[in-house]
Amino acid sequence: MKRKLIGRSIRKEFNGWWAISLIGATVILLPILFVFSSLFFKPNENWFHIREYLLGTYVKETLILVISTGALTAILGVTLAWLVTMYDFPLKRFFRWALILPLAIPPYIAAYTYRSMLSYTGVIQATLRNEFGYQMNPEWLNISSLRGAVFIFTLFLYPYVFLITRSFLEHQSASFFENARLLGRKPFFIFLKVVLPLSRPAVVGGVVLVIYEVLSDYGVTSYFGIHTITTAIFQTWFGMYDVNTAMRLAAWLMLIVVGMFIIERLLRSRQRYHLPAKSRPLAAMKLKGMGAAAAFIYCTLVFLAGFFIPFVQLIAWAVLTFDKVWNDTFFTLVYQTLYVALISTLIIIVVAVIVANVCRKQTAVSYFLAKWITTGYSVPGAIIAIGVLAIFIGLDQWLAPIYEMMGMADAPLILSLSIVMLITGYVIRFMATGYNAIEVGFEKVGTKYTEASRMLGSGVTKTFFKVDLPMIKGAIFSGFILTFVEICKELPLALLLRPFNFETLSTKTYQFAKDERIHEASVSSLIIIAISALSIVVLQMVNKKVKE
Amino acid sequence: MKIVDVQDLVFSFSSEGEPVINGVSITIMKDEIVGVLGPSGSGKSTMLRLIAGLEMPWQGSIYIAEKPVVADKLFVQPENRGVGMVFQDYALFPHMTVGENILFGLSRLPRKERKPRVAEMLELVKMGEFAERYPHELSGGQQQRIALARALAPKPNVLLMDEPFSNLDADLKAEIREDLRVILKKANITCMIVTHDRADVEAICDRSIEMGQREKIG
Ligand SMILES: Nc1ncnc2c1ncn2[C@@H]1O[C@H](COP(=O)(O)OP(=O)(O)OP(=O)(O)O)[C@@H](O)[C@H]1O
Ligand SMILES: [Mg+2]
Repeated sequence: MKRKLIGRSIRKEFNGWWAISLIGATVILLPILFVFSSLFFKPNENWFHIREYLLGTYVKETLILVISTGALTAILGVTLAWLVTMYDFPLKRFFRWALILPLAIPPYIAAYTYRSMLSYTGVIQATLRNEFGYQMNPEWLNISSLRGAVFIFTLFLYPYVFLITRSFLEHQSASFFENARLLGRKPFFIFLKVVLPLSRPAVVGGVVLVIYEVLSDYGVTSYFGIHTITTAIFQTWFGMYDVNTAMRLAAWLMLIVVGMFIIERLLRSRQRYHLPAKSRPLAAMKLKGMGAAAAFIYCTLVFLAGFFIPFVQLIAWAVLTFDKVWNDTFFTLVYQTLYVALISTLIIIVVAVIVANVCRKQTAVSYFLAKWITTGYSVPGAIIAIGVLAIFIGLDQWLAPIYEMMGMADAPLILSLSIVMLITGYVIRFMATGYNAIEVGFEKVGTKYTEASRMLGSGVTKTFFKVDLPMIKGAIFSGFILTFVEICKELPLALLLRPFNFETLSTKTYQFAKDERIHEASVSSLIIIAISALSIVVLQMVNKKVKE
Repeated sequence: MKIVDVQDLVFSFSSEGEPVINGVSITIMKDEIVGVLGPSGSGKSTMLRLIAGLEMPWQGSIYIAEKPVVADKLFVQPENRGVGMVFQDYALFPHMTVGENILFGLSRLPRKERKPRVAEMLELVKMGEFAERYPHELSGGQQQRIALARALAPKPNVLLMDEPFSNLDADLKAEIREDLRVILKKANITCMIVTHDRADVEAICDRSIEMGQREKIG
């Protein structure tokens, strides 16, 4: 009876769509599993050395970075979100969206911009010295430290918390807060006792995004000379070409991620931040005098430091170096970046659409498939990079006899020196970005049109092209843009998986900065910032549509 | 001829808990119009979805026009059952015109016969001049007629309708009820209509069946 039922279920549900989905999911999970499997290999001397003398520092600095950044982004994000939703003060409508802009500047670009601005020859010390005759202790402005990294991450990643908390607060029913006000409570008390506990799941959600970014980071930390597990993974590979030890480090990093995941679950304590349907929107309270001034100054400072100042500085440098940088080599760079991003995004969107389509029918299997296909987003880039690298090297060894047969014995590394490796990395890492957008699209449309189409005699595939696809066009478009932008910005994967001599905008920017050719990095930085701004615009558009 | 033959059907949405459909058998003969009555939650919609092939029963068998569609290891996909359905909220494809909506189900008809069939269906539901409109440009009653025309166009063995009147206001209802009976009889179609309202059954149906009297909890 049971077996008959299973046989019949497979007959009902299984088709080419499922087959492709399962293959895609396997490819995505393989590198991550491979990293874990390294724990069972016999470790070598490098590993004993690292474990004995270095691992402690790596773990300590990683944790300090994650915890401080997490706490500070929470404070900054929540207070700003609270101000722009609950109060009226000068330029509030502007700040409401302008405070998202720091997200357009990738932290590694911010890091080199700030370090250069704060250096002895940088704009701040130079002005103080020349205009005011004031010689500052250079130590005060030394940003190449753990503290400096926390500063950069906080200032440029807090918008994750800000965005989620703001949209959460904006959707809350006014009555919560008005009741508290009518009961004669002071706004600060309301903030502490009503807003914070209520928005905890939203805040935790935002902070988790920040922490994933920090754990994935290689640009800021390596530039500032900080020893995290991620930088160690890179150094082990670039310095010693020791994949196995790098994988062991990656497995350690994975443990931290799993720990974070468990803590997140506990903090959310089964609360989901679902948005209540329709409720009376909150009427903002008008701030006067000192209060208005304080709110205005706070928002202005964050906006200046988090976007305006570095942005203007980059433009100034770009004007200086434009003629030198803007040439054929640069166009090749832009072309290569867009080309690789385009191919990866197309693959992601096609796979995401196929998987999301089979996961519309909610079963236990489809639940796991959806989780599975989106794992890449909660796994730091360095782990994926090293897993993909190890698998490609393994593939090349395995295929060596075939290469030889084809007369390529002198080139034993084919796959692991090709662009395929980088594209694979991107696809695994950013599958979730595309998938989530498309899943939302399918959810909005529901299943009734699909069912109607099948009742009219069209099979799964014809239904997909004639009915489903036209209806999720918008979701595909926004998924495409968001994924494309993420890939253009990405640094660690690109650094580790790119073919020899292959540069993207982000790797070239990083290279310039590392070689202390700061000014020359500005043009490519600005292009990256412009591309990122595009995704913010798309997100805002999508949000608006959802509201309507 | 038995057009719908359901034997001892058992179905549940999850492996725990009591089945929604528990050992139901239904037989419907050719050209019958049968009303399906029963309290809310008694599994009327689920029954239609099982016959349509949108859900899979755990036990029992279903025959459509004397051919098995669910039996033993067999499961025939919804598109191959020759069953038509009018959805509660019509589910007209918003990106297609009225004409294209009706044409959609005619892919198995020879190309030459498709256009005339669309015209014939529009004529049947008295919507001849609306072929170029989009669904959102129609009133609720008009949308329902188009949904009916679309479902009838491929000449299904049986037509399933889930609460066809629930989205219409009371004035419209009496009028449309009469039209519906005329259309269904003209089309010579076997039909199952789920409804809450005994008056619907009396006005349209030849007979009715009652779905399981499940005790309501609380
Ligand atoms: N997708 C689903 N998942 C889980 N349970 C469901 C699902 N759809 C329906 N049910 C449950 O199955 C039972 C039968 O539902 P069904 O929709 O068939 O009832 P109905 O007779 O059509 O009711 P109504 O007259 O209100 O439309 C109900 O108890 C319902 O809660
Ligand atoms: Mg129902």
